[in-house]
Amino acid sequence: MYTSENIKRRNPVGSSFSRDQGHQQQQDDHHYNSQNENQNRASADPYGPNPLKPAFQQQQQHQQQHQSSVAAYGYRDHYQFGYAPPRKEYSANKYIRFYQENDYILIPTLLTLVSFWTRFRDIKSSDYVVWDEAHFGKFGSFYIKGDFYFDVHPPLGKMLVGLSGALAGYDGTFGFDSGAKYPDINYGFMRIFNAFFGAIMVPLAYWTSQELRMSQAACIFAAVLVLFDNAYLTISRFILLDSMLLAATCFVFFCLTRFRNERHDPFSLDWWLWLAMTGVAIGLVSSIKWVGLFVTALVGLNTIEELWDLFGDLSLPKTTYVKHWVARAACLIALPFSVYVASFALHFAILRNSGPGDAQMSSLFQAGLNGNDFRNNPLYVAYGSKVTIKNTGYGGGLLHSHVQTFPEGSGQQQVTCYHHKDNNNNWVIKNVKSEEVPEDAGSPRILRNGNLIRLGHEQTNRSLHSHRIKAPVTSAQWEVSGYGDDTTNDANDEWVIEVVDENSHHPKDGQLRSLSTTFRLRHRVLGCLLTAENVNLPQWGFRQIEVTCDTRNRTNSPHSIWNIEQHWNDNLPAGEGNLYKSKFWKDFWHLNVAMMTSNNALIPDPDKEDVLASNPSQWPLLAVGLRMCGWGDDAVKFYLLGNPIVWWGGTLSLGVFALTVCYYIVRRQRKFQDVTPMEWDQFLSAGKLLVGGWFLHYIPFCIMGRVTYLHHYFPALYFSLLLFSFVIDHFVNRPGVSRKVRNVVWAVAFTAVTFTFLFFWDVSYGIRGPAAETMTSRQWRGAWNIIDDHKPNTFI
Amino acid sequence: MLEDTLRVQTIYIVATASESTLRQRSTFPKHTPPTDSNASATEDAPKKVIKSVFTSAEKTNSLIALAGLTALAIISRFYKINEPDEVVFDEVHFGKFASYYLRGSYFFDVHPPLAKMMLAAMGYFIGYDGHFLFDNIGDKYNDNNVPYIGLRALPAFLGAMTVPLVYMTMREAGFPILTCALAAFFVIFDNMLVTQTRLILLDSMLVFFMMCSIYSYVRFYKTRNNPFTLKWWSWMIATGVSIALTTSVKMVGLFTVATIGVAVIWDLWELLDIRRRLTMQQFMNHFYARAIGLILIPVVVYLFWFYVHFAILTNSGPGDDFMSTEFQETLKGNTMADGIFVKYGDNITIRHKDTSVYLHSHEHNYPLRYDDGRISSAGQQVTGYSHEDPNNLWQIYSDNVENTKIGKQVKDKDVIRLLHVATSSWLLAHDVASPTMTTNEEITTYSINEDGSRFNETTFQIILESGGDKLRTMASNFKLLHQSTKVAIWTHAHKLPDWGFEQQEINGNKNLVQKSNLWLSDNIEGKNASEIDQESSKAVKTRSFILKFLELQGKMISHNAGLTDSHPYQSSPIEWPFLVKGISFWTENETRKQIYLVGNPLGMWIAVASLAVIIGVSGADLLSRRRGFYPLNQDVQKRFYYATGFFFIGWIFHYIPFFLMGRALFLHHYMPALVFSYMVLAAVHGFIFIEGVDGPISDAGPETRPRQLQRAVVPVIAYASGIILMAIHLGSFLFFAPLSYGTSAPSVAGLARRKFLPQWDYHFAK
Repeated sequence: MYTSENIKRRNPVGSSFSRDQGHQQQQDDHHYNSQNENQNRASADPYGPNPLKPAFQQQQQHQQQHQSSVAAYGYRDHYQFGYAPPRKEYSANKYIRFYQENDYILIPTLLTLVSFWTRFRDIKSSDYVVWDEAHFGKFGSFYIKGDFYFDVHPPLGKMLVGLSGALAGYDGTFGFDSGAKYPDINYGFMRIFNAFFGAIMVPLAYWTSQELRMSQAACIFAAVLVLFDNAYLTISRFILLDSMLLAATCFVFFCLTRFRNERHDPFSLDWWLWLAMTGVAIGLVSSIKWVGLFVTALVGLNTIEELWDLFGDLSLPKTTYVKHWVARAACLIALPFSVYVASFALHFAILRNSGPGDAQMSSLFQAGLNGNDFRNNPLYVAYGSKVTIKNTGYGGGLLHSHVQTFPEGSGQQQVTCYHHKDNNNNWVIKNVKSEEVPEDAGSPRILRNGNLIRLGHEQTNRSLHSHRIKAPVTSAQWEVSGYGDDTTNDANDEWVIEVVDENSHHPKDGQLRSLSTTFRLRHRVLGCLLTAENVNLPQWGFRQIEVTCDTRNRTNSPHSIWNIEQHWNDNLPAGEGNLYKSKFWKDFWHLNVAMMTSNNALIPDPDKEDVLASNPSQWPLLAVGLRMCGWGDDAVKFYLLGNPIVWWGGTLSLGVFALTVCYYIVRRQRKFQDVTPMEWDQFLSAGKLLVGGWFLHYIPFCIMGRVTYLHHYFPALYFSLLLFSFVIDHFVNRPGVSRKVRNVVWAVAFTAVTFTFLFFWDVSYGIRGPAAETMTSRQWRGAWNIIDDHKPNTFI
Repeated sequence: MLEDTLRVQTIYIVATASESTLRQRSTFPKHTPPTDSNASATEDAPKKVIKSVFTSAEKTNSLIALAGLTALAIISRFYKINEPDEVVFDEVHFGKFASYYLRGSYFFDVHPPLAKMMLAAMGYFIGYDGHFLFDNIGDKYNDNNVPYIGLRALPAFLGAMTVPLVYMTMREAGFPILTCALAAFFVIFDNMLVTQTRLILLDSMLVFFMMCSIYSYVRFYKTRNNPFTLKWWSWMIATGVSIALTTSVKMVGLFTVATIGVAVIWDLWELLDIRRRLTMQQFMNHFYARAIGLILIPVVVYLFWFYVHFAILTNSGPGDDFMSTEFQETLKGNTMADGIFVKYGDNITIRHKDTSVYLHSHEHNYPLRYDDGRISSAGQQVTGYSHEDPNNLWQIYSDNVENTKIGKQVKDKDVIRLLHVATSSWLLAHDVASPTMTTNEEITTYSINEDGSRFNETTFQIILESGGDKLRTMASNFKLLHQSTKVAIWTHAHKLPDWGFEQQEINGNKNLVQKSNLWLSDNIEGKNASEIDQESSKAVKTRSFILKFLELQGKMISHNAGLTDSHPYQSSPIEWPFLVKGISFWTENETRKQIYLVGNPLGMWIAVASLAVIIGVSGADLLSRRRGFYPLNQDVQKRFYYATGFFFIGWIFHYIPFFLMGRALFLHHYMPALVFSYMVLAAVHGFIFIEGVDGPISDAGPETRPRQLQRAVVPVIAYASGIILMAIHLGSFLFFAPLSYGTSAPSVAGLARRKFLPQWDYHFAK
């Protein structure tokens, strides 16, 4: 807020500022006349409307008038800037007085302790690998062993899982197969490590509510909603990334609200601290899952709004305005990006050994991993060599073919790019029929720039082929297929090698070396370039990358450039390391593109019904739950299901809030003052953040084609929970509502949430024995498959 | 509340205090400061209420311009309209639909009926009887005796009439003659608008009614100071009827509704403002009036055309299969009446609704082990077979073992068992994964000779989705729901490997709500309708209009969304304004002629640039106003946001929603937006070159304060630049005209020169 006092505080020169500055502005920008302004200031009533100030400043002044009246209500009994908190009346009883003096620390402490108890109790009750522990436990193991792996999520969360394993004394040898029984490892500790993150959501919710200026009861209620939501509880108690993601999201939002409340005092130490903390937090959340970008977007929108407000503040010196920009760019862009990059640097530093994810990376990167044998490849590639061919584009894979055929187009054998190593990636370099050169004439013939080759697929003996048939997805380009064999082949099987670059200390002689030489493959007849552009094929192509023959002749596109990765030729001597080290930034970018590509490939298969997947429309009203493990009668069964009261209340509050805002706006248009300008501003700015947060975390899932699961809703849920408490708070703290009504409403709300939580206790802590016997009464919605697996999919 | 008044005062002070330093528009007459809120400033102003800003000479000039442009429009649309005398592009559909109207046979189309009925009416008046079905592109009209010129004349005429509407809309919005003429000129000489409106297609009607809506709304808005007068009501109802007609042509008309809807909501919001001094009762009157004129009347008009649609199409026709049984029974000569009630003990065939294969079984078993290593039950195969075969016969039994129900009719929700007649075995589903889908259950059979221990696995509930509550051949669609494991018998177009003779896989689907779970019984062995069927009457049934309408509307929407098959000429919306890709409408091999739908490239690119100017100017204005600096004269600014902005919103609303559509999209979907973009182009030209605005243009009302006359100054440079723009546009039009009219064939070199962008794939370019 920029009241006149604040302006003075920022500019110790005081009133002389406005005159000098004003003159300058007038000359620069044809601003309004500063003399006018001064006269007005001097003569007018200090609270009277100043016609020369922008509208929003008018409102600010207006608010100041009303602050005292708001304070007079006395229900906002915690810290609030701009005026002193109303003095508390302490009780005579010394214990109560102690509580009253220290409630700001006692309440969150108590909530946190309860939170720890709910999250940690009986955490080892299932001694087998539950649900996605199979993934994330395994990824954690890779960090302990140092083997390079590939996954669609950024590394930070999984590194923390690895850390928890290391702290628990786990050596990384367990396979984490789904449903397998844990051997002698301290999985309880690993789970507690994860559950800790889930537990700290509770105090964060409390403090965030405080920053949103809710009453104390509302702050406690918000924390209790988080505390007693069965879904948050269940997901926190296993070795998963979600608890970390949620905690980090909550932390970002907390930092954001805290920073917003510092806006009246820009460039103070606290202002800088919370701005920087926000930046670090969004760096952390984005390094756990890319879903963190949604909360980052919230911070971004908030920043734009702030800068827009400041832009309209004509009294703000331009240098100060620029400073605002620079501060935000540094703290909200540079800082998060550094954190994100640092997590990848650590990732590369820890994973030094060759592992299952090698093929996602560039050949040079792989060659730098321990245990990789690329260095022993024969150096020069010759006719008759067996090779694998790697696309140099970011996220590029290995040229691949398999017996399956194209369902459309030519109907010939599919040729794709694939990110895993198998024998179907092997190609044999053969000479073409038109060149009468014997293949085994004593010494092998080394390939050179401009040579004509035919590439035979080792497993199926088909040749790499292209023709004037449209490619299946990128229909503007020609299809590439596997066709013919050694006896039937035609000119459409012939490719010309064009050497692009030779990253080698050897002389640039146009000879083809494995790993270091990059080259294009140009179709001799069509003149097009063999290209793979991170476009996923449909399900019939197993969502592998489409390979086309690109007629645009984009000779500089890395997606049209290839290199030899592995190379076998018995007639040639083994090579001796001749390698450039790959560069960190290249690897970083390469890995990120590969993650993006794999993420895009995760779209639902229309032919298969995935019982775990759900549709976003099912989430807000909790139409769906999720079985986290096998449903045998003997097993301890976990069912991922929210606390219905909590979820429904959160969703309902979104509607109530929207209607309330509409009501107030329409009434304001008719000049009815239902709320004071101060309250209105407060109501709108907090509500805007919460609804915006919900919206940004929910709507993208409705749009994206990716397969979605119930737990994708959890970050959005957090915002709707805070809004739930916020909306109740708004209605019970109206002047007309008596203290009695207020107490009753809160009591009902707390009781309902607590009892529903207890009622659904088993769902979170494990159902023992046959589900049908004990859980029938919990079957509140027809589509929940707690008991019966044959429920229809229902929407909403 | 208070703020706006304050801001206005501020502007006033700014304007007077630093008038000499306003560099941009310093030539404005002295009276530019707003007068409506500052009473002292209006004291000296003349109290005369102005009727019209335009002199009679100007009105004559405007009429001359309008007449000239209309003549040009008619020439451009009717030029060689007889060529080609062959079916072109989607004339295949819309010509055919017109024929069906004339025959009265029921057809199904995703678009509402109005435009097609207009074509049919045109055909009726010129004596066409609907004998030709427009089956293939390139079919000769003259050989088939089709009066196609008359049919094409209707869209061509309406396409031409769009031009005077554009002119008059701009004129009513207060733009000078030059600006209006520029917009109309660009609309006349756009190749896409020409090609698309001189053929038997719907878009010409769509754009015509759309412009009617916009024109009426502008007229309505101008009467806002005299609410509830006859003129006010007339234009409002005209707007309502026009938007209804637009929507009755294509559902895209909803975008027009949205455009006008936004304007109306904004208008209502202004009326609600306390400073307008309307009582709540008065405000509600405004609200109800608009609800009647712009919601109720349009809905009635829209429904009316469907009523006519059903009234004309009374005979069974190619659209029957799209509709429900109940609907089909309302059509003369429908096949539903042949249905026979199925009784227990009958041998029936069961056919899958979507893929038309019979439920089939034969004496071969599932392989014990599949290629992927999974194990099957090795039971008898149950497959989907597309030909008639004795192995398709199933005898229907009830679930009680004594078979007391033999001879009784099968009813909805009955639990039945199906006996495969040829192999004497019961149909059975069980919890074993199906051959190709691990999530679905395997369907097999189990011999009648074995013990009854698996009885529970052979019972299915028959759930009728349509066709009454008794199972009837042909008429009833039903699901077969397995009782013990709750799966529906289902099949999909997936062929089994060699061991299954490449027949279709049949399995148990856990998703019970899927539409593809439906089956129908098409035959009872040894019975036919004429022989035994007394129960079913041949009489045509009736059904309420609303039910028929709701069913058809639902089918239209779901079918429209289902048009996802890729098409070689489809394009994505982002490509349209830049004209990345065209559509080949028609080719003739002997003469190497081609009609290729592509807009006027230079004109469209200039239009895109003008859209960018709008965004740039409004952005700059927003930023500078935020800094307390008001670069635009208030009247210019008002015209810029209210008139040009309205057309820009029109463009947004007729363009952006396409990005959200999943169906296959084509360049011609951009046509409505294109007309708006040309209007924006002209307005932007005026904004740049013409000083000031003509005003006031709205009718004065009883409470209107005296306003001062303002005149726009149109300098020579405006005329010069306008003529240059028109020349560029016309040149570009003529250059591409051979491809738009298809009347002459450019040489290969000529085509190469016309290939501005790489994806314009002309057919005879080589």
